[in-house]
Amino acid sequence: MRRPSWQEEGQDPDYRFTLANERTFLAWIRTALALLAGGVLLHQFATGLQPRLALVVIAVGLGVVAAALSVIAYTRWRSTEIAMRHGRPLPYGWALPVLAATTLLTAAVLTIVLLVS
Amino acid sequence: MAVHRIDAPGDPGLQPERTALAWGRTSLAIAVNALLSLRAGLVLGEGSLIAVGALLFAAAGATVAVAAVRRRQLSGAILTITPPRWALPGVAAATVLATLAGIASVLVEGGSG
Repeated sequence: MRRPSWQEEGQDPDYRFTLANERTFLAWIRTALALLAGGVLLHQFATGLQPRLALVVIAVGLGVVAAALSVIAYTRWRSTEIAMRHGRPLPYGWALPVLAATTLLTAAVLTIVLLVS
Repeated sequence: MAVHRIDAPGDPGLQPERTALAWGRTSLAIAVNALLSLRAGLVLGEGSLIAVGALLFAAAGATVAVAAVRRRQLSGAILTITPPRWALPGVAAATVLATLAGIASVLVEGGSG
């Protein structure tokens, strides 16, 4: 099968780094899936919590962040792979601040909802 | 030759094994979301969500298959380091599909209830 052209550039990095990059991608995908499942589960099962709108906002917000993280996971895997092939510094990304902010916001809103209802 | 292959190094960090296992865990995470989409579809009587749930189960199955391929590629005397070409974009696309189903299930119920 033909490989993407960037996999012909530069040099194959240490195999451990390539495998670690692949696992990091998968870990981000699982993080996205966990955020999504958390939002949907909250919406489907925490039916007694009020206001309902807050739960809808949390669930939709977690879904949107999960979608963004899964796209970032792939672009980050690819750019890290390319950087390693050329021996360049690894790129920084938005994934970690986005995840931290999402977790903080979700926790804050949920705490308020639990206190109010 | 573009596919990166090496002689098995006897890695004491067990990186090849951990990579194959990571695929297996990811398939479970997709299956959980498939189940949630299926449940939302059945509860709300929304055929499209049931269909997406079935599709996500298929994606989880495909990820199990990738895990099996990776286990074979990453064991034995020669290791194939380069992942299958469509595996990573595919699993990212399945995740985006799952998020669309999840958001839709929340909004459908929000609209009717």
